[in-house]
Amino acid sequence: MDTIMNLLWIALKILAIVLPLTISVAYLTLAERKVIAYMHSRIGPNRVGFLGLLQPFADVLKLLLKEMVIPSQSNRYLFLAAPVLVLAPALAAWAVIPFSKGLVLANINAGLLYIFMMSSLSVYGVLIAGWASNSKYAMLGALRAAAQTVSYEIAMGFAFVGVLLAAGSMNLQTIVLAQSGNILHWYFLPLLPLFFVYWISGVAETNRHPFDMVEGESEIVAGFHVEYAGAGFALFFLAEYANMILISAVASLLFLGGWLSPFEGIPLLENVFAFVPGLVWFVLKMGFFLFLYIWLRATFPRYRYDQVMRLGWKVLIPITLIWIVVVSFAVKFNIGPWFNQAGV
Amino acid sequence: MIPLTHYLIVGAALFSLSLAGIVINRKNLIILLMCIELMLLAVNMNFIAFASFLDNIAGEVFVFFILTVAAAEAAIGLAILMVLYRNRHTINVEDLDLLKG
Amino acid sequence: MIQQFIFYLFSAMAIATAAMVIISKSPVRAALFLVVTFIASAGLWILLQAEFLGLVLILVYVGAVMTLFLFVVMMLDMDGIELRSGFVQYLPFALIVLSVMLAFIILAVWHTSFGLGHANPSKETAAYNNIALLGSVLYTQYAYPFVLAGALLLLAIIAAISLTFRGTRNAKKQRVEWQVSVRAQDRLYKTSMKNEKRL
Repeated sequence: MDTIMNLLWIALKILAIVLPLTISVAYLTLAERKVIAYMHSRIGPNRVGFLGLLQPFADVLKLLLKEMVIPSQSNRYLFLAAPVLVLAPALAAWAVIPFSKGLVLANINAGLLYIFMMSSLSVYGVLIAGWASNSKYAMLGALRAAAQTVSYEIAMGFAFVGVLLAAGSMNLQTIVLAQSGNILHWYFLPLLPLFFVYWISGVAETNRHPFDMVEGESEIVAGFHVEYAGAGFALFFLAEYANMILISAVASLLFLGGWLSPFEGIPLLENVFAFVPGLVWFVLKMGFFLFLYIWLRATFPRYRYDQVMRLGWKVLIPITLIWIVVVSFAVKFNIGPWFNQAGV
Repeated sequence: MIPLTHYLIVGAALFSLSLAGIVINRKNLIILLMCIELMLLAVNMNFIAFASFLDNIAGEVFVFFILTVAAAEAAIGLAILMVLYRNRHTINVEDLDLLKG
Repeated sequence: MIQQFIFYLFSAMAIATAAMVIISKSPVRAALFLVVTFIASAGLWILLQAEFLGLVLILVYVGAVMTLFLFVVMMLDMDGIELRSGFVQYLPFALIVLSVMLAFIILAVWHTSFGLGHANPSKETAAYNNIALLGSVLYTQYAYPFVLAGALLLLAIIAAISLTFRGTRNAKKQRVEWQVSVRAQDRLYKTSMKNEKRL
């Protein structure tokens, strides 16, 4: 009986994470269209509901009511399983994200490794979708996705190594708490190159512009999900945006102090803003990164594929390697104000 | 609690299956490589079970090194396979019986 | 109770998918079943409190090695190749190997259990940190093997690249001699393409 209650309680907590996440995905799509529209001097969607606020629901309804077309020569089961396989890791990774102090579903020691593992799993859905569709554009998209994800995972992993060297732990709560003090203690400052590398490889991992070689509308029509329509396409869409939010959440946890207030350690302002809960700061930081995603999309043209690979292997990985050595020395010799705390 | 024997039996089953796989699929180089990976996994399973039950971390260190070597083996194996396929247009083990490229 | 349930579920999954790896027809399917085997085994390892290795298994094997396998299988399009001609012929032999091997190992491990009934209960507490423990041994007692493993990985990178590298193909270089010796009839030519078939 006790076990069942426990499981029910966990299920409730999962629901409390997944539901807001889904709604934020819906509104992220609207925000993306609106922001890009204003960057293009347009207005964007404004017909459905007040200021277009019901637009995401109209989109979802449209996609769910559409017929799901299964290509005749495709591998039926894998074709239907692929969207689920893309979405599942994107949602599962949220289990270890601490939203505020103590507010986490699973406070595990290897939290960072778990997130890294989940983001490496998301490539399977793309590969399977590309292969099961039995279309050459989908296949090309899938092959590109595999190569790109594996390449940028290395740079991302090295950026994680720098963070865990600095914090001395893989537990995400410990990493955030190691950054407390004031805004200068956040890791974006001592680990600035790693921060940039993490962000760039995060954009590449989620296959967003300017690294959206996997979809590449102008070259391989829509890449791996060219054959998908209706609910399958909606799931791919959901997964892409859930992954964006995840990458933003991890970036703010690792480099911008997670739920810590930016006014911490400043005499007067600290007390003024003391009433704001940590969750609000966390969401604001995530919002900043999400805006950056959209901004990148509106600004940069798509890379050529060999340029993407060159950037990953010949620029990002050497930078991270050098900076890991620098951070190791800084930690070894307790160079302040970041690495001279006790126990770090 | 789960006894040690059950973990060892899982490892044994995986090992035997991979051995049988090598016997069945003796023509397809890529499935042979996969069977070798499976065999290493079975060995790792035993190592970790013993490390946990004997409370000795050395077993896990061993698994760590096996994972490293297996990853290197897979990378080089696949590279050789690519070159073979490019030059000979086959990965059938029976066609690869010449000592010259 | 719940631990037993997870253990038997994951071990059944691992063994069933391992069987599917060796009998499935297409290499792509075999690779996908192998992925499930790895994930199930990682679950079993995490059940044994080896969380670091469990996660690394998924990260390295599922995230990188199996992706490479799938990449190669899909790129070379091996599904069309007939490689299974000897399946029925070798099946009895494989079954014999399977049963003899399994019987011998089970005979060796059955119920004697090496005098080890249960796992160390101290690992069940929250203070147990598998990663810290592993790291503290790996960087002190096993420092030389660790460095050697790194050297091995470097060697593997170099070997894999040098095996498959075919020179830069689209280097943007100006070839003056080509420009000078170009003729008008080389500039334009007609081709006739065949109808494309299914991939």
